[in-house]
Amino acid sequence: MIKGIADHRSILRFEKVKVFTEQGGSGETIDLKMNLFGGDLALINLERPRFGSILADACCGLHQAAEGSIFFLGKDWSALPSDTANALRGRIGRVFTFGNWINRLTLLENILLPQLHHTRRKFAALRDEAVHLADQFGLPGLPMGLPDDVMRTDHQRAACIRAFLGQPALILLEEPTFGVYPEILPPLIHAIRNACDRGSGVIWLTLEDHVWNDPLLPATHRYRLTARKLMEVIR
Amino acid sequence: MSESQEMAVILDSQAAAKKGPGGFAATTGQWTIHQVRGLIQLISIAVAVIWQGLQPLTWRRTVRAEFFQQCYLVGLRALPFILITGSLVGLGMVYQAIYWLGVFGQTKFTGPILVLVLVREVAPLFVALTVIGRSGSVILVELGNMQIDGQVRMLDAQGIDPFLFLIVPRVAAVSVSMFSLTVAFIMFALVSGFLAGNALGSLDVTLQEFVFRILSEMGLVEFATIPLKTFFIGFVVALIACTTGLSVTRSRSDLQAALSRGVTKSVLAALLISGLLTLLL
Repeated sequence: MIKGIADHRSILRFEKVKVFTEQGGSGETIDLKMNLFGGDLALINLERPRFGSILADACCGLHQAAEGSIFFLGKDWSALPSDTANALRGRIGRVFTFGNWINRLTLLENILLPQLHHTRRKFAALRDEAVHLADQFGLPGLPMGLPDDVMRTDHQRAACIRAFLGQPALILLEEPTFGVYPEILPPLIHAIRNACDRGSGVIWLTLEDHVWNDPLLPATHRYRLTARKLMEVIR
Repeated sequence: MSESQEMAVILDSQAAAKKGPGGFAATTGQWTIHQVRGLIQLISIAVAVIWQGLQPLTWRRTVRAEFFQQCYLVGLRALPFILITGSLVGLGMVYQAIYWLGVFGQTKFTGPILVLVLVREVAPLFVALTVIGRSGSVILVELGNMQIDGQVRMLDAQGIDPFLFLIVPRVAAVSVSMFSLTVAFIMFALVSGFLAGNALGSLDVTLQEFVFRILSEMGLVEFATIPLKTFFIGFVVALIACTTGLSVTRSRSDLQAALSRGVTKSVLAALLISGLLTLLL
């Protein structure tokens, strides 16, 4: 737990889980064991790049477990009907490493899309919250252009805004510092602290050892994801 | 059917073809099974689209926004093109009908002939081909690119069902636009034909009388045919474009193959639906 008022409910729990390294039930299996509570930041070092999206997809219930169960907010992904699962995914904020944006929508529309889809919050309220986050992440305002017209570094900041918008229960950060390290660290750590204080759980996936070892990151758990298992590292 | 499944069918067919006459039968069988399976898949998706389209919860603000955006792209932006082509068809077809029927003193058949040929047959089919070329192919490529770039998976990961967000509003928008464009096409064709006939002195009636003559020839069947044909064709064309686009999972070269396959299927489907409904109604 980082600090403050975070509750102790389990946000994400892997129970004796094995997942295949390929979609469609092929390849090797990786053992996953983790229990993420509200207020936790789990920092995970990836042995291979594609493990990041496999783990993140497993957290979202998109990569089915070969064995065991994955529980999000106490509910087993595999037992949920698709509309309930989609509604629950609306409570997950995520920075993606691949396919982050819908090209024909502006970055602003991309940022607001999940909240507009899953909630009834007014557009103005969402935009105000996004403006606040944009300010926090060092953007002069909300990026209005199409993704292809916006600088790469702003993409990463915009992705963080989308991930933290709407106070999600779980925040999955796949390489959030890519291309913006170390300047994004202060606002990102601030946003993570706020999210954890509200009771969210955060998972940060990185390939880079220096990020994983960074003492500034307020990680409550550190893991290494190898080709065989997810191992917790006690320091 | 996914690209890999299709590839498997093609490879099986090629292997079977090498085995001589028996192989030919096997190839034909494989092809038939493949087509029937594709048709069943399309029908089941069509039923799902109708079912989801009737659920109020489907039409969240994001889905509504997609629907209106697609109506703008497929319908409104095609209107100038429909204006030009409708007018040209009117100049050619309507004027010819007015002129030649006038020459033979059979002007009383102007209404029935225009209703039968233009309103029931030419207009829906012409607009269908326009929609396939202008919008169906664009939808197919757009969804194919989204699939290849991982954007569809990203939507899924955010809990936004691609079926609801991408397919349902596009199918609805293309159906509505197809109907609207056909009505516009008929109007432009009739007005331009009337103006041409009047300008060249082949017509001795007012626009009001001309329109009344056409409308009086339109019975319940004609009034039912236009919406039935256009909604149905629009629905199927959009469905083919969406499903073919989303079936592309590997590379841009697959997308090119999918594009030609999708356009061919759409044209065939439009002709088939038009012909079937003409026979039935």
